[in-house]
Amino acid sequence: MRTVTIDPITRLEGHGKISIFLNDAGDVENAYLQIPELRGFERFAQGRRAEDMPQITSRICGVCPVAHHFASTKALDAAFNVDPPSAAKKLRELMYMGYYIYDHTLHFYYLGGPDFVMGPDAPPAMRNVIGVIGKVGVEIGKEVIKHRAYGQKITAILGGKATHPVCGLPGGVSKGLNKDEVKDIKNMVDSCIDFAKFTLNLFDDVVLKNKNYVDLILSDPYTLKTYNMGLVDKNNKVNFYDGKIRVTDQQGEEKVKFDVNDYHKYIAEHVEEWTYIKFPYLKSIGWRGFEDGKNSGIYRVGPLGRLNAAEGMATPLADKEYKRFYETLGGRAVNSTLAFHWARLIELLYATERAKELINDSEITSQKIRNPVGEPGEGMGVTEAARGTLIHHYKLTKDGLIDKANLIVATTNNAGAINMSVRDAAKGVIKKGDVSNKTLNMVEMAFRAYDPCFACATHTLPGGMPLEVNIYDHKKKLYKTLRQNL
Amino acid sequence: MKTIILGIGNQILGDDGVGIHVVNEVKKQIQDPNITIDEAITGGMNLLDLILGYDKAIIIDAVKSGTSKTGTVKRIPISDFNTMHSCNPHDVSLLEAIKMAKKLGEEKIPKEIIIIGVMMKEIPCEFGEKLSEDIAAAVPKAVEMTLNEIKN
Repeated sequence: MRTVTIDPITRLEGHGKISIFLNDAGDVENAYLQIPELRGFERFAQGRRAEDMPQITSRICGVCPVAHHFASTKALDAAFNVDPPSAAKKLRELMYMGYYIYDHTLHFYYLGGPDFVMGPDAPPAMRNVIGVIGKVGVEIGKEVIKHRAYGQKITAILGGKATHPVCGLPGGVSKGLNKDEVKDIKNMVDSCIDFAKFTLNLFDDVVLKNKNYVDLILSDPYTLKTYNMGLVDKNNKVNFYDGKIRVTDQQGEEKVKFDVNDYHKYIAEHVEEWTYIKFPYLKSIGWRGFEDGKNSGIYRVGPLGRLNAAEGMATPLADKEYKRFYETLGGRAVNSTLAFHWARLIELLYATERAKELINDSEITSQKIRNPVGEPGEGMGVTEAARGTLIHHYKLTKDGLIDKANLIVATTNNAGAINMSVRDAAKGVIKKGDVSNKTLNMVEMAFRAYDPCFACATHTLPGGMPLEVNIYDHKKKLYKTLRQNL
Repeated sequence: MKTIILGIGNQILGDDGVGIHVVNEVKKQIQDPNITIDEAITGGMNLLDLILGYDKAIIIDAVKSGTSKTGTVKRIPISDFNTMHSCNPHDVSLLEAIKMAKKLGEEKIPKEIIIIGVMMKEIPCEFGEKLSEDIAAAVPKAVEMTLNEIKN
């Protein structure tokens, strides 16, 4: 492989940056996405009380507090050598479904959907949720708001607080459910199932019945043949809360399946000098640079990664949709980046169906929700954050303080693939030096599909993602800059 | 009139948490059943949920600014934030959330939403609980401006 020196790029803080390098014909030679990464967590965590970690880590990321909360709680279960009662596991999983309901709903209608509902060429002022509501109607808009809020409410009932839960403890949870709460959740869940079905129908009408969109989804610039990773249950069905980590290849065949305790045997991280992000890859395959295919250890996580890494969904309606997904998009595995959007909606349906199973479980009102902890040691925990596999690993002192902490977060798992998707999209849409705002959006669509969580995706006002795109000519001289929210 | 004072920020991300530091001070100085004082680490839709039903919302937060001097405190009416389309990775801006709620006929949006913004060039990317010198020095000013906002 030829080494590319990328002098104009410095590591960055605070905002996303895409650097695109053109060749002398004005076509794209290469492109790099740099996203801010929070640093210094290990040092920050050292010496803190282990049981504070679920609260602390839920503040790491403004967008997946619930996922961090439970990856952390599960790592503590392991570190304190305790298996929670089955009711506690069900309560945690039910809460997790609430998180998926609001998270996936938000992404489709507010973030990913506008590109399809309004069209990728629509002017930015229209290409947003307001535009979507203008098109689909105010009544549907109200349904979107309502069901996103239901997801939040389910999470809040179980977690104590909607955005930063306080219920996870090593060995179980701090709070059970009473009969009124169960009734409340049942009503919301029934409504959410209908809403998920409606959303899949909408996707069908708007996207799948439009040949241009299907062609776009299946087009080369948005195709990436990487390995896929996700948690599966004992039947190899997608699971968000628990199970084994399964990796499949570009044809959907199982490559490896392992317990989180062995993650370091299978996953290694590659460092590049132009970014703080570490790029995880499969150890057995090795790092071959930003390449896809069988010989490159890069893998994808998140909705598409999960569906590809499994053999089906564990609930009936979602499983039916899962089969249709592969039939429509040409068999296993689906390597189309824009198919993340459809995969996400299939998961939304699964989350609602699974929530119904859990809330109807006779054990869900059990008061046996915590087991006593053992001696502090070392532990690893894994969950599927909405945007992919999330691992927490703690080593405790004999007094129960954090000695070492290591996290592999979802967006990091996708970092190599996102970078390639941005590059390939840029190559596909920029020809002969012709760069416009439309181009920027086509490139952005490539990484928006992954629903990445950047450090700047925390709350900070004004709230838009600051992004700068620098385009360099073949002499590496700055040719054009496109900026938003900077 | 019901007012909410909301400090926004991440306490474990240094200067990002300045809003929380400010409300912790404000809490000591206000005792009025019509005023709710709270903190949150969220934006967009979730932030809107928190302020619905109040007549006035005062939001204290770190604001990233390329032009203002670090540590300057500004009173910014929400309408002065530039329009932004849906571009951030996983939420919409507060302004967009408000626009959307209005479009859907939400009646509980506060009539007045004021941001007390503590300006900084960059939002920190390194974990830590302490404020930097410049930002710590801005806290009393932000507290004063918040209290003035209540008196008016």
